Amino acid sequence: MEEGGFRVDPVTIDTTKIKPAKKKPVTALEKLEDTGLINTVLAAREREGMILFSTIDQVFNWARLSSLWPVTSGLACCAIEMMGTAMAHHDIARFGMEIFRASPRQSDLMFVAGTVTKKMAPRVKQLYEMMPDPKWVIAVGSCASTGGPYIESYAVLKGVDLIIPVDVYIPGCPPRPEAFLYGIIQLREKIKNEGYGAKWGLNK
Amino acid sequence: MSATDELKQKLPAAVVSTGMQGNKPMAVIKKEELLNVAGKVKEMGFDHLSVITGTDYKDHFEVVYNFYSYNKKQNLVLKVIADHDKPEVDSLTSLWKGADWLERETYDLVGIRFTGHPNLVRILLPDGWIGHPLQKDYDMNTEQFVTIGEKGEDIVSTDGSNLLRRK
Repeated sequence: MEEGGFRVDPVTIDTTKIKPAKKKPVTALEKLEDTGLINTVLAAREREGMILFSTIDQVFNWARLSSLWPVTSGLACCAIEMMGTAMAHHDIARFGMEIFRASPRQSDLMFVAGTVTKKMAPRVKQLYEMMPDPKWVIAVGSCASTGGPYIESYAVLKGVDLIIPVDVYIPGCPPRPEAFLYGIIQLREKIKNEGYGAKWGLNK
Repeated sequence: MSATDELKQKLPAAVVSTGMQGNKPMAVIKKEELLNVAGKVKEMGFDHLSVITGTDYKDHFEVVYNFYSYNKKQNLVLKVIADHDKPEVDSLTSLWKGADWLERETYDLVGIRFTGHPNLVRILLPDGWIGHPLQKDYDMNTEQFVTIGEKGEDIVSTDGSNLLRRK
């Protein structure tokens, strides 16, 4: 088989290896299963009586982790990296987090980005208490986690977890935006396993 | 002629010693003559008082004034020795308006009292803070916490029961 100087090998196609086209999800339940996040719908169907509870947990968790809105608050240089994470290059809009709310009433997440001084500590706590439940906190950098280089200072709180509960600690001084993204992904994993469904072993 | 030599020539009784502080001419002057010397320094063209600091040497305090002249492009450092038991020096707010906050900061952190200052209260730390942190005998073992009062004012406490999480 020579045509114009080019040699063309005959190709044989193994028809058994071709997978049939995936069925397009039609009903709401099928669409939920198709997201991959709600993968226990079928398993839950078999456990009568727990269907509603575990499924709603998972739907709620999925909804919550998909649009975490952080409160606009920064304390020190870590806040500059937080702004860098929000900009186009690293783009936390991929996680539904692009809206930094100017009011704690509309936020789900607080980045404690920077050194928590003794004078700022009650203000940080007040900001946290203003946020509606459910709410999460990420301690960013060594200062917010432990006090960092200011551990022996008279004016710096030795870790923000002394005053508010913290979900994820991001190390670094300041952490790079990649570290921020890793911390955010860890928090998403944590939210995914919240609720009674996870406690009963249904969120597989 | 450097600024310290000029100062020594004009007020020989006020200048204790002269030297260099890094690359800046420095003069140690008598505490009683501070306002006199400062007036002369302003006449010499040092229109900018950039920094006031203080240092605790355990047996005495040293107050350091950094001046700059925008016309002559010259620096000048003045030092005053103050007692350790009762650190008091005259305020320079009558000559340089900018001395106001600088002296408040030095009072806040080092504990130097400036007589004649219009409003000598703490500037960085909240009112009610115990001690001056840059003094050598500051108690680092007692931790102090700040909470917000009903009117939004800062309240200093040593136990922090309103602030810390109960465990």
